[in-house]
This record gives sequence, structure tokens and C-alpha cells, in this order.
Amino acid sequence: MNQTPSTPAKIELGHVTHLYLSATRAFMAVRDINLRVEEGEFICLVGPSGCGKTTLLSIMAGLERPTAGKVLIDGNPVSGTSRQVGYMLQQDYLFNWRSIEDNVFLGLDIQGLRTKENEAYALHLLEEMELIDVRKSSPMQLSGGMRQRVALVRTLACQPDVLLLDEPFSALDYQTKLKLEDLIFTTLRRHKKTAVLVTHDLSESIAMGDRVYVLSRNPGRINSEVHIPAHIRNAIPFDARNQDGFQDLFHHVWKEMEVVSDAAKGH
Amino acid sequence: MQQKDIESAHRKFLKQEARSRSWVLSTQLLLFIAFIGLWELLARTNTINSLIFSYPSKVVTEFWSRLMDGSLLPHVGMTVWETIVGFLLGTLLGTLIAAVIWWSPFLSRVLEPYLVIANSMPKVALGPVFIVSFGPGLFSVIAMGCAISVIITTINIYTSFKEVNPNYVKVVQTLGGSKRQIFSMVILPSTIPTILATLKVNVGLSWVGVIVGEFLVSQQGLGYLIIYGFQVFNFTLVMMSLAIIAVVATLMYQGVAYLERRLTSQFK
Repeated sequence: MNQTPSTPAKIELGHVTHLYLSATRAFMAVRDINLRVEEGEFICLVGPSGCGKTTLLSIMAGLERPTAGKVLIDGNPVSGTSRQVGYMLQQDYLFNWRSIEDNVFLGLDIQGLRTKENEAYALHLLEEMELIDVRKSSPMQLSGGMRQRVALVRTLACQPDVLLLDEPFSALDYQTKLKLEDLIFTTLRRHKKTAVLVTHDLSESIAMGDRVYVLSRNPGRINSEVHIPAHIRNAIPFDARNQDGFQDLFHHVWKEMEVVSDAAKGH
Repeated sequence: MQQKDIESAHRKFLKQEARSRSWVLSTQLLLFIAFIGLWELLARTNTINSLIFSYPSKVVTEFWSRLMDGSLLPHVGMTVWETIVGFLLGTLLGTLIAAVIWWSPFLSRVLEPYLVIANSMPKVALGPVFIVSFGPGLFSVIAMGCAISVIITTINIYTSFKEVNPNYVKVVQTLGGSKRQIFSMVILPSTIPTILATLKVNVGLSWVGVIVGEFLVSQQGLGYLIIYGFQVFNFTLVMMSLAIIAVVATLMYQGVAYLERRLTSQFK
């Protein structure tokens, strides 16, 4: 981690510390976070609740400015949201007053980029996700899995290089979740996106990520980093779960989680 | 269970529903007829003072003769017009103020105690102030119809602006939306159901404001007719005006309720 490569990382966090201030207290959400994500990498952040995972995503997205430390994307400091970075939330949060295709065009509307060409690209993505038939429907007519796929298209339609995923599968039933994992994994691979996934599901993090960071809480810090071997990394998430060594990795990450949970209890 | 049985069970259910519906309706009708009949009877037998309470047949005759000589409709038209302008203005102005204080958290904190005071204030007490500032006429009455609803509209709509799920705002923010876009793309469209519901409440409020306004100052309108009838001790005229207000206010409320159902169907 100490060597400094010549090309800047896609995402780089240096000594990031963030405080939440209120009338009654100052709460340290994360302390001294250092991490690098290379172009095209898929990394996962896991940790007990309250370890500042979502805070880190918000900081990377430019929704919040860290109290201290630097955040770089492509070597440039982050100062507010940009179209380079896409964000997916725990739920789809589609707008009921817009049709599916208008939801997908939301980012283009906001950025003033609603050209024929960009619309065509967004519709092409809808087609990839097998949603083109419902483009005129209302979000209320769709199932949870379909809605989250629409939300993915909405994010991808703006053609971000970096995707931040904040537990996007947590509100779905198990079967839908597994299918969507595969879909997002292959879509991001194909479009060569860099991704950061926050999750509390350990097997999901191992199945999807190239690297997994385990965070501890009070305040949130990086406890350890787990590299996923190539044969698991390259398999699609559903198959990855059946690869040799997956169970061992799972136990390894599980142990790490026990350590950080026990440490938090000891406080 | 056979398909036939299911169908017959359903038919039976529908029949029962229809029966209970017609029971409710006929009871309602009966109640109305009983009320009118009793009123007529008591007045005719002089059990109640017919000079004060008048009686239905006399009210209907009064209504008919005033309708025929063309002196009634201008009064109704005037009041309806004032009410519509009053509640639309009240809702619009309230929404506008709510938008401004949503925009500036500083302003919302500064204005909070003033809104509380303005809301507790009985707005009709401001009548004399309106009359001296807007002149004794149409504008004062409309101002009253508007004033009575504008503060509560501001408070309700501002509250619903704040209650919009922050994650919807986050969606627009992560896509690079400005504050103006957050307002126009999330806050306003997601509170349209609340605004329409407020419109419905404001219809009723504006009737109060307009009638009181007409009591105080006006040469035309149903409120004027009531006060005039009171002054010349023609209670038939008063009762007739009350009946017209009941009918027209109900129609107006139902109209707005219908509009609300039509416009918010896509939100539910």
C-alpha cells in the first residue's frame, strides 16, 4: 500500500476522517481511512452496522465533504457530485409520477443531456435488462426486482465511470437478489466500470468483489483487506459461491467480522 | 366448490350490498323529508315562531320569485366568484410562501414564531384592517377569503415539503441536481397530492371568509343577502340564502374532490 504507482488510482481516499456534529455531540463516523481502487476494480466494504460504510460512499459521491483528508477520483479532488460517479441506493426510489422511461431519463434531464443519442443509449440499456416492454408503464406496476433494474439503468444512463452501490440488494427476496447480483456483475464488467459495493452480506461481498475491506466501528476504520483469488473473482457471483476455496474465504471473512464485532462490544 | 356456487355466492353478496345501499339512501331521504315536514308543520301550527324561522314552502316561493325576477343569480354568482378566487389565491400564495421558506432554512427558522402567531390569530378579526386597506368592496371580501386559508396552507405544505423521503432527494443529488431541480423534480411533484387535499380544505375555509367579508362590507352576495334579510327582519330570505350556500358549497367541495381524485390517481 506504500508504493506510489505512476498512474493515479480511479478512486483514492487519503487519511479521510469524518465527524457528524449535532447540538448534543460530535460523533466520529470514520477515522483515517486510506484506500485505493484501480480502474475497473470491484471492491466491497463490509462491517457491522454503524461502521461508516454509507458515510464513505457519500464522501466518494461528493454528497458530503470529509472533515479531514483527501478524496481523489482520477487524481482530481472531489468537490460535489459529478456525472462521473453513479450511486445506487438500498431501494429503487423510482418516481411514481414518471413513466419507466422518464425515470430512466431523469439523470439526462437533470444534466441537460437529453439528446436523441443519449436517449437511445438509455433505451438500449433498458433492452439489455429486458425492460423495454414496460418502458411506458408506471413504476407501481413493476415488481421489486424489476424496479431495482430500472434504478440501475437510471444510474448507468448517465454513463458514469464509477458506480457506488449502497446495499442495492437488501430489499429484495433471495432469488431476485441472486439474479440481480449476476446481472449487475456482468453489466459492470461489460461496460468496464469501477465499483464500490457496501453490503452486510459476507458471501455476496466475496462472490462479487475483487477485494473486500472489513471495517470496524466506533469510529469506522479499515480492519483488514481480503484479496479474492482469480478463479472466484472471475466467476459470475452465482457460480463463484460454488468455487473451491469459497467456503474457506467465507470463514476467513467471518472470523474478521467476529473480531471487529467483539472489539466493538468490548468498548 | 363449483364455479356455479362461487357465482351464486357472489350474486348473493352483490344483492345484499345493493339492499344495504338502498336502505341507507332511503333513510337519508326520509330524514330530509321528516325535517322539512316537521319544520313546515311546526311553523304552520305556530308552535315555533314563523316570523323567525320562516317555513319551507315560503322559502321555496321566495327562491322562485327571486330567481324569476333575476335578482338572485347575481348574488350567487358574486359569492361563488369571490370564493373561488379566494381559495385559489390562498392555496397559491400559501404554496409560494412554503416554497420560499423551504428554500431558505434560515428564513424558515426566523419566520417560525410569526407563522405560529399568524395561525392562532382569528383571521376574520382582521376584517376592519382589510376594509381600510382594500376599500369597502370586492377586494376586501376576496382578501378575507384568502387570508383565512393562506397561513394554514403555508404550514401544511411546508410540512409536507419537509416530509418528502430524503432518499428521493438523494437520487436527484447523486445525478448532479441543483436545489432548483430538487424542488421542481422531487419536492413539488411528490407533494401534489397534499396540495390538492389542501385545496379541498381551503374551499370550506374560503366560504367562511367570504361570507363574513360580505357581512362586513358588500352590496352583493349571499352574505349580503343574509345580513340584509336580518336587518329588514325577512328571515325567509335568510333561510333561503343559507339553503343556497349549503347546496353551492357542497357542489364546489365535490367538484374539487373529483378533481383531486382525477389528478392524484397516478400517485397511489
